[in-house]
Amino acid sequence: MATKAVPAIKCTDLTKVFGQRKALDKASFELPQGAFLSIFGPNGAGKTTLLRILSTLARPSSGKAQVLGHDLIEKPGDIRAYIGLISHKPLLYLDLTAEENLLLTAKLYGVENPEQRVSELLATVELTSRRHDIVRTFSRGMTQRVSIARALVHSPQVIFLDEPYSGLDPHAVRIFDDLLQKIRLQGVEQRDGVGVEQGDGVGVPLFAEAKSGTPTPSPCSTPTPSPCSTPTPSLCSTPSPRTFCMVSHDMQKGLALATHLLLLERGKVVLFAEKDQVDPEEFVHLYHKSVGMGVA
Amino acid sequence: MSNKTSKLDALALPFLIIGGVLIIFAFVFNFTVTPMALGDIEVPEPAMIGGKIVTTTLLLSQKIFFYHMPVAVISMVALAFTAAYGIMFLRTRNTKYDIRAQTATEMSLVFVSMTMVSGVAWTRHDWGAWWVWEPRLITYLILMLMVIAYFILRTAVSDPERRATYSSVFGIIVAVNAPISFMITRLVPSTHPVVFRSDSGLPPLMLIPLLLTILGFSLIAFALFRQRVRARQMEEQVESLKLRLDDLRG
Amino acid sequence: MSKKNDAQQMSATYKKPSTFQHYKILLGKDLRREFRTREMLTSMGIYTVLVLVIFGIALMQAPEKVDILQMAGGLFWAIIVFTSLLGLNRSFSYEKEDGALEGILLVPLDRSVIFLSKLTANLLFLLIVEIIAVPLFYIFFLSGLPMHPTLPWALLPLLVGTIGIAGVGTLLATITINTRGKDVLLALLFVPLIVPLLYACVSATTLAITGSPTLMDAYVPALALAIGYDVIMILVSWVLYDFVVSA
Repeated sequence: MATKAVPAIKCTDLTKVFGQRKALDKASFELPQGAFLSIFGPNGAGKTTLLRILSTLARPSSGKAQVLGHDLIEKPGDIRAYIGLISHKPLLYLDLTAEENLLLTAKLYGVENPEQRVSELLATVELTSRRHDIVRTFSRGMTQRVSIARALVHSPQVIFLDEPYSGLDPHAVRIFDDLLQKIRLQGVEQRDGVGVEQGDGVGVPLFAEAKSGTPTPSPCSTPTPSPCSTPTPSLCSTPSPRTFCMVSHDMQKGLALATHLLLLERGKVVLFAEKDQVDPEEFVHLYHKSVGMGVA
Repeated sequence: MSNKTSKLDALALPFLIIGGVLIIFAFVFNFTVTPMALGDIEVPEPAMIGGKIVTTTLLLSQKIFFYHMPVAVISMVALAFTAAYGIMFLRTRNTKYDIRAQTATEMSLVFVSMTMVSGVAWTRHDWGAWWVWEPRLITYLILMLMVIAYFILRTAVSDPERRATYSSVFGIIVAVNAPISFMITRLVPSTHPVVFRSDSGLPPLMLIPLLLTILGFSLIAFALFRQRVRARQMEEQVESLKLRLDDLRG
Repeated sequence: MSKKNDAQQMSATYKKPSTFQHYKILLGKDLRREFRTREMLTSMGIYTVLVLVIFGIALMQAPEKVDILQMAGGLFWAIIVFTSLLGLNRSFSYEKEDGALEGILLVPLDRSVIFLSKLTANLLFLLIVEIIAVPLFYIFFLSGLPMHPTLPWALLPLLVGTIGIAGVGTLLATITINTRGKDVLLALLFVPLIVPLLYACVSATTLAITGSPTLMDAYVPALALAIGYDVIMILVSWVLYDFVVSA
């Protein structure tokens, strides 16, 4: 059994080569659980490749990658149950209803009592009234909300975000931010075998009753008999805090949300550090420099 | 990427020459020493033999068999290599196998085209029609179409890794399909008379040019294969040098 | 019990579904989607009627004496091949449309289940279209002709052939969905690969329709070879599918 020190993501010399092109070049970093990693870099720096490898949609050419202590390359199947992906593509069947899409995913992941979980998720993303509508009729923002619910159906411990803001209008961005904040502060229930070391079986509800419209609803404000009775979010996020890994072109969003920063350039890790240890201005400068190089 | 020329590459040119010489020798042998299948007869005027009108041209058309059969065999062997390299690619994800699979399929295309040309020529003289829906020709026609489809598939996929994966899978499928189509077209009864030629038990004087031609074409196919692979590897090296140059400039 | 308590109770329970359950869930998804949009069924059905009309016009000038029974098997198989091409092209377009397939790939499941469920769905849709096509074909081309009692035997090669078409077609459609000019490319890859099956099935179908006196002598080997094709090609496609769908 893994201990609490197990990193959420650990990459060692992760390389993706095809032919002569190196999409990733010996990328190494270690991200602790509960962190929010923002990945920056110019186009073609390997951001999406890294995210696709970590979310088991692509295979690296060499190097090692572990998520929650599980080897991604040897046994990608083991880790898929614990990761979620929110992409700029909704990953949904547009001709199925919101509820059908979520039920499909819930059943595939083997969530027990899927109907209940799906109603809960629909409430969280504030789509209960539209649950029986076909996703094709939804606006971009609504589709994205279903997509978030989809990614959370199995209560993943590591969530990957691939350009989640692209194509969203300001209103949808705000709702998305709220949701992100919400799921960040909430714990993940325990499952066997993954790098969480915590007391037995105290499941924390995935979503404490969400109040719609509140800008940053904290689960601590709800009167649930959960460990969330202290005002500090860090305690709320036990037993296992979620880890986030985001690729976004939105510099400000990325910096605001992040606890850790990763700058990629031509597949190489230029910088990986905790946000507190990096001077934001310096980082922005570094970023612009590498973007400039990517263009040239 | 290694810069050195492998031993196999060094053999390419000699093999090409030896192969050519063998084929020319077999060609001469075929027309001078090898007897005719129906016996060594001259038919200056059209004559009836065994209920068929026979001319010298018709009799000589059987000589096509000595080229048709070897190129057909080699096109099949090349396809087997496509599949083998395809499997190796899927196992290792090493581009070098994709290059080889692609090149092997090119060899298959060259030889299957030669098979078609010789087959049609033979049909024309043996049955008096340019095309007959006969098992051998159907097999090679669809084989040729599949090999052409392989290359169209390659050009239709832009992502190199995906292209290599798809073409490996398709190459394997084609190689599995080819013997099936060979069997089905021969074993399924059709309303057309199926012409089975028992090619076994050829007299030695016929066997010699046949084997020599097979050997000669094999050597040529191998030489062409090595040269193409080498050319592709060099292209890749140029690409990688370009990339490195870009890096240094950046 | 309050809602929150329920949530708390269910939150810890996950049970990995069996491969067969995954198969059922994915197949259910395809069927539900199709019966809602009727995208494939409508287009394939109308297309079948159109090809029948074209054949009717094309054969209109043929003299009465032409033995349509000898040609019927071949004509019918031409319809099946063209129609299935149309349906197979559709069967993956919605998987790709908004990354839905990627959503499935994120789930821990045996990826060849995707192949089997898709194959089954395509097979069912093709069979439904054939249920329309067979009587129409009979009415348009064969009614009024003396039929041989062996005619029902033509349904067996139809089933065997459709299984093979669905199997090979599902693999190839997964490939061509990621290519440029996917519709044409599917035809280019699919038709040559299917020729051996077509050859055997046309032969068996024609024998059944014409009621040849030596029926069983030729029918059985033709059908057996078609089944052999199905088994080998579907096995190979099944083994290779993981590579294709993950690429």
